[in-house]
Amino acid sequence: MLNRITTLFAEAKDLNTYRMSNKEMVIEIAYISSLCDESKVSDFILVPFQKELQPFDDIVERNPQFQIIQDPAMWASIILRGFVLLSVKGRIYALDTARIIRNETPATQVETAILGPQLALSEDMVDSINIIRSRYPSPELAMEEKTIGSMSHTRIMILYDNRHVDPNVLSEVRSKLQSIRIDFLNAAGQLERKLSGKLGLLPTIIITERPDRVANSLQRGKIVLLLQGTMFALIMPATFYEFMHAVDDNYDSFWMTRMLILLRYFGVILTITMPALYIAVISYNPELFRVQLAFSIAGSRSAVPYPSFIEVFIMLFMIESLIEASLRLPKYIGSTATTVGGLILGQAAQQAGLVSSIMIIVTSVVAISNFVVPVNNMSISIRFMKYPLIVPAIFFGLTGVTVGIFALLCYMTHLRSFGKPYFRIFGPIKAYTSDIGQVSEE
Amino acid sequence: MRQNKLIQLAIVLPILLATLSGCGFKDIDKRFFVVAAGIDRPVNNPNRYLVTLKLAVPSPKIEPGSAKAQVESVEASTIAEAVRLIKSRVDKELDFGHCKLYLLGDRLSSQYYPDAMDWISRRRDIQNVAYIAIGRPDAKTVIEMNPPTERFPGNTLFLQLGKDGTESAYIVPVFSFDFIRKAQERGIDPVLPIMNKEKEEYVISKLALLNKNKTVATLSPNETEIYNQISHHMKKSTVTATINGQSLVLAVNKISSRYRIVKEANGSHILKMKIYISGIFEEAPLGVYSSNWSKLEQKFNEHYEAEANHLLTKIQQAEVDPFGFGLRYRATHAGSDQTWKAWLSIYPQLKFEIKANIKIDGTGISD
Amino acid sequence: MNRYFYYNVFLGSMLNLMLYVPHILIKYRYNGAISSMLVAVAIGTGLAYLFTTVTQAFPGKGLPEILYIFFPRAIVIPILLFLAAMWYVASAIAIIAYAVLINRFFNPDTSAIIVLGLLTLVCIYGATRSTLSVMFMMEMGLIINTPLILFILMKSVRSENISWDAIRTIANYWNQMPQLTPIAAASYIFTGYINFSIYNRLTPPNFRLKFRWMIPVFCTVIMLISFFVPIGFHGTETVVHYIYLWSVTSDSLIMNYGFIERVIFVFLILYLNLTLIYTTSGWHQAIEMIKSCFPSNKPDVDQREIPWINWAIATLFAIVSLLYLHFFDEKESFKLASAWLVLRLFAEAGTVFLLFGMTLRYRRKSSL
Repeated sequence: MLNRITTLFAEAKDLNTYRMSNKEMVIEIAYISSLCDESKVSDFILVPFQKELQPFDDIVERNPQFQIIQDPAMWASIILRGFVLLSVKGRIYALDTARIIRNETPATQVETAILGPQLALSEDMVDSINIIRSRYPSPELAMEEKTIGSMSHTRIMILYDNRHVDPNVLSEVRSKLQSIRIDFLNAAGQLERKLSGKLGLLPTIIITERPDRVANSLQRGKIVLLLQGTMFALIMPATFYEFMHAVDDNYDSFWMTRMLILLRYFGVILTITMPALYIAVISYNPELFRVQLAFSIAGSRSAVPYPSFIEVFIMLFMIESLIEASLRLPKYIGSTATTVGGLILGQAAQQAGLVSSIMIIVTSVVAISNFVVPVNNMSISIRFMKYPLIVPAIFFGLTGVTVGIFALLCYMTHLRSFGKPYFRIFGPIKAYTSDIGQVSEE
Repeated sequence: MRQNKLIQLAIVLPILLATLSGCGFKDIDKRFFVVAAGIDRPVNNPNRYLVTLKLAVPSPKIEPGSAKAQVESVEASTIAEAVRLIKSRVDKELDFGHCKLYLLGDRLSSQYYPDAMDWISRRRDIQNVAYIAIGRPDAKTVIEMNPPTERFPGNTLFLQLGKDGTESAYIVPVFSFDFIRKAQERGIDPVLPIMNKEKEEYVISKLALLNKNKTVATLSPNETEIYNQISHHMKKSTVTATINGQSLVLAVNKISSRYRIVKEANGSHILKMKIYISGIFEEAPLGVYSSNWSKLEQKFNEHYEAEANHLLTKIQQAEVDPFGFGLRYRATHAGSDQTWKAWLSIYPQLKFEIKANIKIDGTGISD
Repeated sequence: MNRYFYYNVFLGSMLNLMLYVPHILIKYRYNGAISSMLVAVAIGTGLAYLFTTVTQAFPGKGLPEILYIFFPRAIVIPILLFLAAMWYVASAIAIIAYAVLINRFFNPDTSAIIVLGLLTLVCIYGATRSTLSVMFMMEMGLIINTPLILFILMKSVRSENISWDAIRTIANYWNQMPQLTPIAAASYIFTGYINFSIYNRLTPPNFRLKFRWMIPVFCTVIMLISFFVPIGFHGTETVVHYIYLWSVTSDSLIMNYGFIERVIFVFLILYLNLTLIYTTSGWHQAIEMIKSCFPSNKPDVDQREIPWINWAIATLFAIVSLLYLHFFDEKESFKLASAWLVLRLFAEAGTVFLLFGMTLRYRRKSSL
C-alpha cells in the first residue's frame, strides 16, 4: 500500500508513512500530517498497537470508526479529507482524524440581530449541523450528503423537514445539484450562482449565517444547503418578501417592525429609482415638483457645467468606490477612507460647482437606503438595479423610468424560485379553493 | 452563447437609442421658467397683443430678497407670435410648466377676452391650476414689479393667491380651468380678481365680474367679501354692523348659505337665500358681554341682508350671474333646452329674498 | 382565488379612460348618455353573469379549449382569430392613445412613434411571458397602482372646485332615449370579465367564483365617476371640448402637501402603468388565442422556456401598432375606438350567448 501512496503523493512533504510491527503483526499507516490531528492518530492507532492489550486486528474490526475501504481508487481522496489509511493484514481501513482549522463558533457579523441569537453557523459543517439540530429537534429533519466540485470535492449537506418539504422542489434541487459542473466550489455564493443561473438580476436563494433563520425556513418546508468550509447556508425556494424580512421582525415590537418592513420597501424603491428620477426630473420634466422645490434645484444646479446624467455617473462612481474602498481596506484605515471621502463628496465637490447639492442628497439617500435590506445577497443585487434604470431615464425621462420599472415588474413576476412564484401576493390559501395555476393534469 | 447575445444587445441597444432619441433632453438650468405671464392690448395699437413674461433667474442662495427675475415684453399680432419673439431674445428655453399666474390686462378684459383664454386653454404646458387675474392699470406694470423680500421669483404671487400662504376674504383666487368653464358655461359667469400695483406690493382686493366677452362690473372690497362668503363660504372673513355709532366686527367661525329659486303664484320667480354665520367679536365696545346678544344679532342680520341684497341687485343689473343661479335653475328643473330659455327670461325679473341668521358665539377673551 | 378574477374586472373598468369612453359618453350627454349608461349596467352585468357561469362549468379550460369541445376545428379557428384581433385592437388603441398622450404632456419633443416603440418593447417582453406570470404581473401592478388611483378619484370627487350643479344639470337629461354608441361605450366598463376566456386556464378544478355582485357595484361607481367628475370640473359646455378629458381633469386638482403639486403627473404615471398592464395582458391573450389555432399547441400556463412563436406574434403586434400610428392621426383613432366599442359589444354578446347555449346543451347531455 505504502508504495502506491508514495507514488500518488510524490511531491507532498507532509505525507507521513510508517510501517510498524509488534509481536503479532505488521501494519502500514499513511496520512497527511497537516490535515490530521496527530494526537488522535496516536490515541487510536499507535498506543493500542504498541500496548498490545488486545490484538490490534480485533480492535480494528470491532471499532466502527475504522471503515473498510475496498476500492484503491478512493485512497487519495480519503487521505486528502484528513483520514488515516491503515493496512492491517491485507485489509485497508480508514479512520477519521481530521483536524479542521475553523473559526470558533463565531458571533453573527453579516446579518446581525439585536435581540436574536448571537451565534452564527460554523465553517465546519458538523458544527453547523449541531447548531441546527439543537434548534430543530425533530426526527423529521432529513439530511443528504453530496460532494460538488471535480477538484475541490466540497461536501454539501441537504437539510429539509420531511413533513413540510414540497417534493417537487426537492427533486428540482437534487437534479440541479446533479447537473452542476464546477472545478472548485469555495463559497455559498458560488453555489447560489450555479443553482439559479448567473445572469439573474435578483437572487432566488437566501444566503444566511443565522441558525434561527435556517430553523424557521426548515419549519416552513424550505430546503437548506450547508457547505463544508463556509459559515453560510443556502435557503430555497425563496420569495422576494423573505429577502426584505429580518429575523428581528419576529422578535421586536409588532408595530415598529411592521413600520420597519414598510421602510425597507420604501428604501428599496428609493435606491433603485432615485438616480433615474433625478435625471428625468432635471432634464425632462422639471414641472413635476412644486415651484419652490424646482427653483431651489435649479439654483443649486446652476453652476454645474455638464448634463445631469454625467453628474449622476460621477456621484455614483464616487459613492460606489467609497463603499468598495471601505470594504477592501484593512479595518484600521477603513474609517479614514469614509471620513475623507465623505468630506470631499459632501463639501468640496458642491462648493466647486461640480455637483449640485441636491445630487449629494440623492447620492446619500441611494447609498443609505440600499443598506436597509437585511439579506446581503439581495442588498448587492439591488445595488446594481439602479443602473439599468438610468438608461431609459436619459432617453425618455419620466416615461422611461416608469416603463423601466414596469419591465422590472414583468421580470420579477416571471421569476420562479425552484418552480415557486417569486413575486406575488401570498394570501392565505384555503384548503377547498386551492391556488391559481394548479391545473388538473389530463 | 446566451451571454454573448446579451452583451451584443447591451452594446447595440444604447447606440440605437442614442441615434433615435436624445431630443427633448434639456437640463433644468438650461430652462427659463416663466412664473407669470401678462397679456395686454397696447395703448396705441388696440388690435395687437403685448405679452409680458416674468422669467425666474434661479440663484443658489435662498434668503429673503435673493429672488431675481427677468422681464421680457414684446408686441405682436398674436399671443403665440409674441411668445416666439420672446424666445429669440433670451438665452434659455422658455418653460411654462411653472407659470402660476396669467394676468389679463385691464384693457384686454374690458374689450374682448376669449382669444387670450383660448391660447391659455390650448397650450399643453399651461397648468389647469394656474391663477388668472386682471392686472391694473395693465398687466405689464404688475408683472414688472419685484417685491423686495421674495425668496423665489414669483413666490409672493403664488402665496398671495394660493391657499398655502395668506388667506384673505378679499382675494378670490380663480384657477384657469374654473375661468374657462365659467366662460363657456350656460348659467354661470366668470369672475376674476383684480391685481393692483401699489408701491412695491400687489394689492388684490377687488373682483371683476365678466360676461362671456368682457368685464362688465367691478366689486368693491366689501362686496368682494360678501361674494366670497356666499359663494365660497370663506371663513377667514368678518361681518360688521354699526350700532349707536359704534362699529362692531364679528370674526366668522362658521358660515353656510343656501338658496332656492321659487316660483310664486303670480308666475314671477323669487330667489330665497338663507345665510347662517356664527362668529366671535373681534372689535366691539367694552361691556358687550353683558348686553343683549339677540338684539345685536338682529342688527347684524339687518345690516348683512341689506348689503347682500345690494350686491345681488348690482350683479343682476350688470346682467351677469357669477353665483351660478342659472346653473342651479337648470340643475333643479327638467333637462331640456326650454329650461335654459326660460331662465334667460326669468333672471332679469328675479327678486331676491335674503335671510341672514347671524349668531354671536362669544366676545373673544375679554368681555 | 377570486381576487384574480376581480383584478381583470377592475383593470378593464379603470382603463375605460384610455379607450375614449368618457369622451364618447359626454358627447351624448344631452341626448341619451344617462339612459344608455343604465342600459349598459344591465347588459354588462347580464353578460358577466352568463359568462362566468360558462367558465365555471369548465375550470382550467380557456375559451379555445371550450370551443374545441363544441365545434370542429374549421369553425373554431376563424372565431379564435377574430377574437384575437378584437383583443389586439383594444390594447393597441389604448397604447397608441397613451403614446400620443405622453407626447402631449411628458415628452413633447420626442416623437410619438419613438415613445410607442419604447412602450411596445416592454409590452412584447411582458406579453411573451407565461400566462401565470402575466397574471402575477397584473396582480402586483394593480396592488401598487390602485390605491393611488382611488386616492385621486376620491380627491376629485371631494374637491371643492367640483360643480355639483353642473352634474345635476346633466343628470336631469335622463329621460332621453338611449343610443347604441354610448351603450357600447358604457358597457365596455363592465367587460373585464371577458379576459377570463384565457385566464380561466389558471383556475383550479374546485374553483367557485364568489362576490359576483361586486361587478355591477364597482363598475357602476367607476362609470359614474368617469362620466360625471369631468362634467363637475369643466361644466356642461366646456367639457366636450377637451380631447384628453381625464388628463385635463386631473390637472384641475392640487396636492397641497408634498413634493408634487400637480396631480396630473401622478395620474399620468399611474395610468401609464395601467395601460402597460392592460396591453401586456391583452396581447398575451391574443397570442394565446392565435397559438390555440395550431393543432400541435398544448396550453401550458407556466411555460419556462418562451417559445419563439410568442416573440414572433408579439413583434408583429408591435410593428402593426407602429405602422398604425404612422399612418393615422388622433381623429381617426377616436373613430376607430368608437367603431371598435360597438363591434365589441356585438362580438362579446354573441360569444357569450353562444357559449352559454352550448354549455346548457353540454350539461343536459352529460347529465342524461
